[in-house]
Amino acid sequence: MTRRSRDSRAQGGRYLLVLVVMLAINFFLPRLMPGDPFLYLSVEDGTVSVVFSQQQIDHYKAYYGLDKPLHVQFGGYLLGLLRGDLGYSIYYNTSVTEMIFTRLPWTLFIVISSLVVSSVVGTALGAISAWHRDGMLDRILYAVMIVLSEIPSFLLGVLFLFIFAAQLKWFPLSGGRTVFATYGSVGTALGDILHHATLPVATLAVSRVGGFYLLSRNSMLTVITKDYIRTARAKGIGRRAVIIRHALKNALPPVVARIFMSLGGLFGGAVLVENVFAYPGVGRLMREAVGNRDYVLLQGIFLTITVMVLLMNWLADIVYRKLDPRVAR
Amino acid sequence: MATLELSHLFVRYRQDAAINAVHDANFSLSPGESLGIVGESGSGKSTLAMTVMGLLEAKTTVTGSIRLDGTELTTMTERQRDGYRWRRIAIAFQNSLDVLNPVMTVGAQIAEAITRHMALDRESADERARQLFNMVGLEAKWLQAYPHELSGGMRQKALIAMSLSCKPEILIADEPTMALDSESKAEIIDLLKRLQSERGFSMIAISHELQVVSALTSRILVMYTGNVVEVGPTRAVLEDPLHPYTRGLTYASPSIHPFRDMWGIPGEIVITEETQCPFYSRCTQRIPACLHQHPALETIRPDRQVACLRGGIVTLLTGVALNKTYRTAGGAIRACDQCDIAIRAGEVVALIGQSGSGKTTLAQMLCGITRPDTGTAVFDGRTILGNSETRRTGGVQMVFQDPLSATNEALSIEQIVREPLDILRSDTMAQRTAKVRSALQQVQLPHDDLFLRRKGHTLSGGQRQRVAIARALVMEPRLMIADEISSMLDPSTAANILRLLKGLQNLLGFSMLYITHDIALARKIADTAYVMHKGRLVEHGPASRVLTSPNSEEAKRLLRKLGLDSSYGR
Repeated sequence: MTRRSRDSRAQGGRYLLVLVVMLAINFFLPRLMPGDPFLYLSVEDGTVSVVFSQQQIDHYKAYYGLDKPLHVQFGGYLLGLLRGDLGYSIYYNTSVTEMIFTRLPWTLFIVISSLVVSSVVGTALGAISAWHRDGMLDRILYAVMIVLSEIPSFLLGVLFLFIFAAQLKWFPLSGGRTVFATYGSVGTALGDILHHATLPVATLAVSRVGGFYLLSRNSMLTVITKDYIRTARAKGIGRRAVIIRHALKNALPPVVARIFMSLGGLFGGAVLVENVFAYPGVGRLMREAVGNRDYVLLQGIFLTITVMVLLMNWLADIVYRKLDPRVAR
Repeated sequence: MATLELSHLFVRYRQDAAINAVHDANFSLSPGESLGIVGESGSGKSTLAMTVMGLLEAKTTVTGSIRLDGTELTTMTERQRDGYRWRRIAIAFQNSLDVLNPVMTVGAQIAEAITRHMALDRESADERARQLFNMVGLEAKWLQAYPHELSGGMRQKALIAMSLSCKPEILIADEPTMALDSESKAEIIDLLKRLQSERGFSMIAISHELQVVSALTSRILVMYTGNVVEVGPTRAVLEDPLHPYTRGLTYASPSIHPFRDMWGIPGEIVITEETQCPFYSRCTQRIPACLHQHPALETIRPDRQVACLRGGIVTLLTGVALNKTYRTAGGAIRACDQCDIAIRAGEVVALIGQSGSGKTTLAQMLCGITRPDTGTAVFDGRTILGNSETRRTGGVQMVFQDPLSATNEALSIEQIVREPLDILRSDTMAQRTAKVRSALQQVQLPHDDLFLRRKGHTLSGGQRQRVAIARALVMEPRLMIADEISSMLDPSTAANILRLLKGLQNLLGFSMLYITHDIALARKIADTAYVMHKGRLVEHGPASRVLTSPNSEEAKRLLRKLGLDSSYGR
């Protein structure tokens, strides 16, 4: 018990350290980027006309605290974070926390949906493929999955958009829901949202399914050559019990760990995909923030994603311990 | 209780595999019987077990039949097979960490078979698992443990408890004592014996450790590269093996030959054709025909079967009722009195006796130097007359106590070693010299021109003995008679010569009659021993018994006396 608590304390320490490092990077990185937010505030598309005078810029810099030394800014930033305050967007002039929290559900929705779809489908297909190793089914699945896993998600998104939205008109071209629509019931609202989410989710899921398939197939292939599978078969407990209780149970831990770990990558993918589909998530917000050199907003988004990823890694650790008794004790 | 019958069973892992993993296995297991399967790693023991359980990979081809009470198992579907597995035939797998599912508790892994086959609910199955653990001597708390939390010995017990969980009629124990310390080993053996007598299942015990099989089983099956080469009662087979391979296994087993030095079976497995004897490349008694015919298992004695074209280990030399009396002024001395002796191919026979007991006379009659008054000595089917066997290659050669004392002092080492070949006149001079050099190399002497030109009397005692052995080796003897060859040497040189000779014997496969009064030495190298006292052979048998606890009074007395001698040095 003492060893276990010491282990988890050491682990907590590691996560804390990572968080602090991430906060520092998060704070300093945008300030190292070329460009200046007040320069961009003043630039309209296509025209170059300076709206702010030097005096105004100084005023705004003082207003946002950007004239203070870096370490003072950083200290203020950390203090604000403790209060849940991510500051005010330089471009939109609204609370960053609020902005992110209006966008986050959209992103979480497509990220988690696509994760569920891709991991379940990928794992199942991988297991089936491994059990029929070198058979026709295995070869075809393997080839298809390799190809799928190599296509970049934005390309896939554009392809889907072209075929299913532009040509077949099965799904809307963009957005998270029909603009200006008034819904009669929760059902129709949900239907509309799902309708809009289908292509982004499919894009993300398809681009991720190959990875899960390969990992699951690989893990399963390793497991089914193990002696304990032979032991299970020898007991005559039936094929289903052998596959599910013995093979899958052993093959799953690495797959599950990967599911949680892959969330970081999925957020990255979501940024690209949301922009392809003009989906109102955090990814699209991030692009806008980058374009506007909106430090405060960028920091907020980065921080949110960082915390999410760390949280998922931590969850992965916990779930792994639950699944494999050899790691647990 | 059921009978298991295997007939003409062939297993091939891949179509393009060079040899069958199991080749024509035929045997049956009666209710309550215990059968041991022994053989080196890769001999097909485990494959046989997996075939019976139906656990081979899909790519494997199995032909022939396995019947349980007349029901054919090989043609069953997996689903049908599942009805037989564990409930009728169960296996205690070879112990390893991987053999149990690492993410399930041991108890759950035992209970799942019980709920499946014995129509019990989960609770009763758990109760039964507790009883099983109690039966094998494990505390019930270990049921909640994961496999990695058990020690090797505990895991072995858990595997046994698991295998017996559905009351099988047949238990296969695959290497049940593998990687255990000797105390746990004894515990597992006792456990298996007790359980078998309590529950009456029949058992197939697979092991490469002969003492395990000999403790557990009444009948034994010896396998070599997938072939069953010998079958018989365990005790009889291990004490008096018929196949050279079985004998090689017993020689390599310190538990069966506790005093004798261990010597593995030399040579590599070389099998070029299915139609040859699989043991050909390592056999000490092969004949050209062995390369063209695959020997079938044949009954050559009641209850003893062996797969050997030569009918098992052949007897190379037999002396029947040999008598020799020397008449001197002081009266008649009966040097040999009705001596019967037999030497088999590839075996080391020690002839023990005091000085003057007639050992040398007997040896001389066996190689033809001395003519017996009555009785005959037969070598390889030919009666020994004069130098009829010593002058041919593949015959009998003798090495004496002081071998070079009888040679011409003027002869060089090359001439001494080459002399028998010169008499034979079979090769060119260059070929003979080449043989001389290779023989000198075999006895670890220099073989350059300088050494070849040296005179025999310039050598030390140990070197002379080596030269004498080389002289015998050029004739490629099938029987070497060594008469007190080490008695004039200091202990270190004697040990070197003896190890050299035994090593050559093991490698080249000739038989050896080793005459000595030194029991400690004889114990180190002898497979069989004859004890001679006042011209009579008073006792003979396996060296491990005769040289430690003989039956006859004369032998006991001699052993005490000679044993005393050797403990005070030669």
